Amino acid sequence: MEQPRIGVYICHCGVNIAGTVNVREVVEYAKNLPNVVEAKDYVFMCSAPGQEIIREDIKKCQLNRVVVAACSPTMHEHTFRTVLAEAGLNPYLLEMANIREHCSWVHTDKVAATEKAKKLVEIAVAKASTLEPLEEIEFKVNENLLIVGGGVAGMTAALDSARRGFRVYLVEKKPILGGNTARLGRLAGTDMRGVDVAGSMIEYVKRNGMITTLTNTELVSVDGSVGNFKVTLLKKPTYVNEKCTKCGECVKVCPVEVPNEYEFGLTKRKAIYLPSPASYASTYVIDGENCTKCGECVKICPVNAINLEEESERIEIYVGAVIAACGYDPYEPSVGEYGYGLSNKVITLFQLNRLLDPEGPTNGELKIDGFVPRSIAFIMCVGSLNTTPNSYPYCSRMCCSSTLKDILLLKEKYPNIDVYVIYKDMRTYGRDEQLYLTACEKFVKFARFREAPKVSVTGESLEVTFFEETLGEEISIPVDLVVLAVGMKPPKDVEKIRTILKVGCGPEGFLKEAHLKLRPVEAVTDGVYLAGAVTGPKNVVESITSGSAAASKAVGLLCREKVRIEPTIASIREELCSGCGICVSVCPYGAIIIQIKENTRSAKVEPALCKGCGVCAASCPSGAAQQLKYKDIQLKAQILAATYKR
Amino acid sequence: MEKPKMALYWCASCGGCEEAVVDLAEKILDVINLVDIVFWPVAVDFKIDDVEKLPDGSIVASLINGGVRLSEHEHVVKLLRRKSKIVVAYGACSSWGGIPGLANLYDKEEILKYVYGDAPSVDNPGGVRPREKHVEEVELELPSFLPRLLPLDVVIDVDYYIPGCPPTPEVTWKALEILLSGNLPPKGSVLGASDRALCYECPLNNTKPDKILLKDIKRPHQVIVDPEKCLLTQELICLGPVTRGGCGALCIKAAMPCTGCFGSLDEVIDYGGKAVSYFASILDYYTEEDVERILDRLPDPMGVFYRYTLPASRLRGKIKTTMR
Repeated sequence: MEQPRIGVYICHCGVNIAGTVNVREVVEYAKNLPNVVEAKDYVFMCSAPGQEIIREDIKKCQLNRVVVAACSPTMHEHTFRTVLAEAGLNPYLLEMANIREHCSWVHTDKVAATEKAKKLVEIAVAKASTLEPLEEIEFKVNENLLIVGGGVAGMTAALDSARRGFRVYLVEKKPILGGNTARLGRLAGTDMRGVDVAGSMIEYVKRNGMITTLTNTELVSVDGSVGNFKVTLLKKPTYVNEKCTKCGECVKVCPVEVPNEYEFGLTKRKAIYLPSPASYASTYVIDGENCTKCGECVKICPVNAINLEEESERIEIYVGAVIAACGYDPYEPSVGEYGYGLSNKVITLFQLNRLLDPEGPTNGELKIDGFVPRSIAFIMCVGSLNTTPNSYPYCSRMCCSSTLKDILLLKEKYPNIDVYVIYKDMRTYGRDEQLYLTACEKFVKFARFREAPKVSVTGESLEVTFFEETLGEEISIPVDLVVLAVGMKPPKDVEKIRTILKVGCGPEGFLKEAHLKLRPVEAVTDGVYLAGAVTGPKNVVESITSGSAAASKAVGLLCREKVRIEPTIASIREELCSGCGICVSVCPYGAIIIQIKENTRSAKVEPALCKGCGVCAASCPSGAAQQLKYKDIQLKAQILAATYKR
Repeated sequence: MEKPKMALYWCASCGGCEEAVVDLAEKILDVINLVDIVFWPVAVDFKIDDVEKLPDGSIVASLINGGVRLSEHEHVVKLLRRKSKIVVAYGACSSWGGIPGLANLYDKEEILKYVYGDAPSVDNPGGVRPREKHVEEVELELPSFLPRLLPLDVVIDVDYYIPGCPPTPEVTWKALEILLSGNLPPKGSVLGASDRALCYECPLNNTKPDKILLKDIKRPHQVIVDPEKCLLTQELICLGPVTRGGCGALCIKAAMPCTGCFGSLDEVIDYGGKAVSYFASILDYYTEEDVERILDRLPDPMGVFYRYTLPASRLRGKIKTTMR
C-alpha cells in the first residue's frame, strides 16, 4: 500500500462543537499524529467554502486519505465522500470522527471534551491509515411490487402503484380481499359502511389490469435485497372454481360446523361457506382445515364447481419492492375477562358492529335471545391502556370514536335504550370530538373508572361495578348488555412476516418504521415498506392514508433504473476459507453460499444480498470473512489508537 | 563437509513431542544423515555444559517443546537461543502453553497445595514440599517453580512454530524439510501445517447441511457417533472450523471431535475467543433457560475452548502477575 498522506479537517459546527471543544488544540494535536500531513479547522466544514478547503488540499498536499471530525456520519458522510470523489479520490478513503453527537453535545467539561475529541480524531486517523479504495455496486431494479395484505391499506397501495403503471402482486391470506374494514359496519365520520369502502376498492382492483390478486395465498419466503427480491408464495386451494353460482345447495349438506370468523363467532358456518355476505364474494369456498372431504357437496353441486383434489400451488415471483400491509387482529378478551364468554350478553364492539350491520346475522336488529336490550354498558379500553393484566399498554386510537359512532346509530334506531359509557379516558381526538358532544346531548351517561370494572353474571342478569372517579364512590349498574370496546393487537402471524421480511418490531409486536419522522412507512430493510395497522393501531382513514404513502415511496424506488449499494459488505478470502459453513449458518440474509470446486468447499458472498451486518466476519473461525471498511486489522488499529497513551 | 548442527530440548511437556520425533521411524535415519544432533536430553547423552562450549550461533536449528515452567527451562532455552540461528517452538505447549498451561488458572501456592496435599491420591502426612536447596552432607539444588507457565516466545525470540499435540510425523518431516532446504519462510510462520482450517481437509466437510444450528451440545461419551457425518452437526463440540489443518483429521477419522491442538490460523487473534464466538453463533436458542441448559452441558469451558492456548491468549490466565 502507498504511504498514507492524511488530511484532518475539524469542524466547529458553529458553536455546536467549538462551544465545548477547543478546536485549535485538536488541530495542533492532529498535526503530530502518524501519517498526518495537514490539519485544519473551519466554522462549517460541510458548507461550500469548507468543502473547497478539503478539495484544494487533496490536490495541493497530495492527500490520499481524509479525516473529517464533525457530526455523525449519518448526517454528512455522504457529503464528504462526494467531496473526495470530486477531487479525484476514492470516496471510501474518508473516515469521520463524530466529535459532535459523541462529544460536544453530551459533555459540559470543556477540558475533558477537548481531550476526548483529540482521542476520537486519533482513532479516526489510525483507521484512515488502513483504508482501502472500494467500488460501489450497482443493480438493475425490478419494476414489480409485492403487497402483502388485501385490506384497505394494501388495496389503496396497490391501486396507487398500479395507476402509476407498475405491476402489483396483491397477496391476501384469506379467501377474499377486504380485510377487517369490510366487517366494521357504518364507519365513523361518514355515511358509508366498511363493506362499501372495501367493496368499491375491490371493484377497482378487479378492473385494474396491472394488479394480480392472489387470495388464499401465504408468504413463504423473500430472498434478495432492495430492487431485486425473489418471493415464494403458497396459494392454497379453495376447492371451488368460478363455475359456482352461489346457489347454496352445498351448505345444506355439509356436515361440518365451525364458528363463523367473519361474524366474530356470533354465528356458525359450514366448512363450505361464503367468505362474505357482500356481493363481491363471487364463489363459495371450502376451508381446508376443517373440511373432512366427505364429498357430500361434490355430489350435490349442480354445476360441478367443486374439486376436492385441488392442491396447493407454489408460486415464485420477482419484485423490486415489498409493502407489508398485514393489518391487525381485534383484541380477544379471555374467558371471564369482564364476564366475556360467561354470558352471550357480554359482547365485543366488533360483534356489536356485526349485529348493527344490515347484512349481519340479525339483519341489523340488535336482539339478544330475541329481545332488544333496554340498557347497555360500554366498557372502554378493553385490552388497551393496561386496564387488565392481559392488556397492552398502548391506546388503540379507534375504539372511543368507534364506540360513540355505534351508540349514536343505536340511539337513532332505539332512542329509549339507556347507554352507559364506562371509560378510563375518552379520546375522541380531532373531528371526532363532535361524536362525544352529540352523545352527551343524547343523554348517554359517561362514568369514569380507575380500576377495571367488575362484570358479574348471575343467571340472566348483568351488573357492572366500579369505583366512579367523579362521584368518588363505588357504583353498580344493572344492564341488559355489556359491550367491550376491545382494542387492536398485532396480527397473529406478525412474527412470521417479520422474520420473512427481516423488519424490526416494537415491544408490543407491531412492525416498526425506520424512523417515525424522517423515514415514515419505511422498514429498516431497504425496499420494504409498511402500511396500515401493522405498524400500530390506526383507524380506516389513517390506514388508507398510510397505504398511499407506502405506495408513493415504493414507486419512488421502482421508477429508478438502478440501485447502488454501499460496498461496505462482507468479503471472503478464498485462500483462507475452509468451507466450514459457519458464515452460511449465521448469515441472516442468505447472502453466503458454499461453492464446491474439485471436491473442496469454500464460501462466497453474493453482494446483492449482503447487508454488511458483519455477523459472518465476527463468527468466521478462520478470519477469512472480513467486513470491508471494518476489517479486523482496521478495528485493531482503532483499538490500539484508543488505548495508546501519548 | 561438516553437517549442520541441531538441538532438541523439552521443557514442561509430557514427552509426547519427543515420541513424535521418534515416530518419524526410518526417516529419523535420514535426519541423522543430514544433521549432527548436538543436544537431545531424552535420547542423546550430551550435557548442558557441552552446549555452553559451542560457539554462539553454531547450531542451525533448535526444536524446543514444552512450555517454560521451571527456572531450568528458562536457563536452557536462553542458552539455546544464544547458540542457535533458528529457534523453533515444537508442539502446542511450546507454542502457546498447551495443556500444562491450564495451570495458569491457579497460582503457584494453589498448585503446590493441591499437588502435595489436597489431591486425593496424595499421602504426605509431613506436608513435605519441594525445596530449591537441600543440604545433607552435600548441597543439592532443584530448579525453582515459576509463578506461571510461559509460552516459549514470551521468554525468548522464536523464529518458527510447528503445531500439534504432538505434531504428527508428517508435519514434523515437512517442517524439517523446510528448515533444511534453506528456503525459509518469513519469521513467525507456522511450519509443516496447512493455511486453512481443519474442515478443509476433513473427509466429513461435504456432509454438512446448508445451515448448522445446534439445539444442544453433547460430550463424546453421551452419543453414539455416526462416523460418516460431520461431528459438529451431531452436536459434538468439534473445533475443526477454528483450528489449523495439517493433521489429516486424525481424530475425526477415529470419530473423535477436534480439540484444537494445531491452534489458530494466521488471521485469528485469540484462539479461544474465536472458538467461543464461532460456537456460540451456531447455537440455536432464544431464552435464558436455553442458555442455562446449554451452559450446564459445558462444565469446563476453559478446558474446551482454551485447552492448548490459554497462556498465549488475551486472557493469559486467572491470576494477576506481571508478564516477563
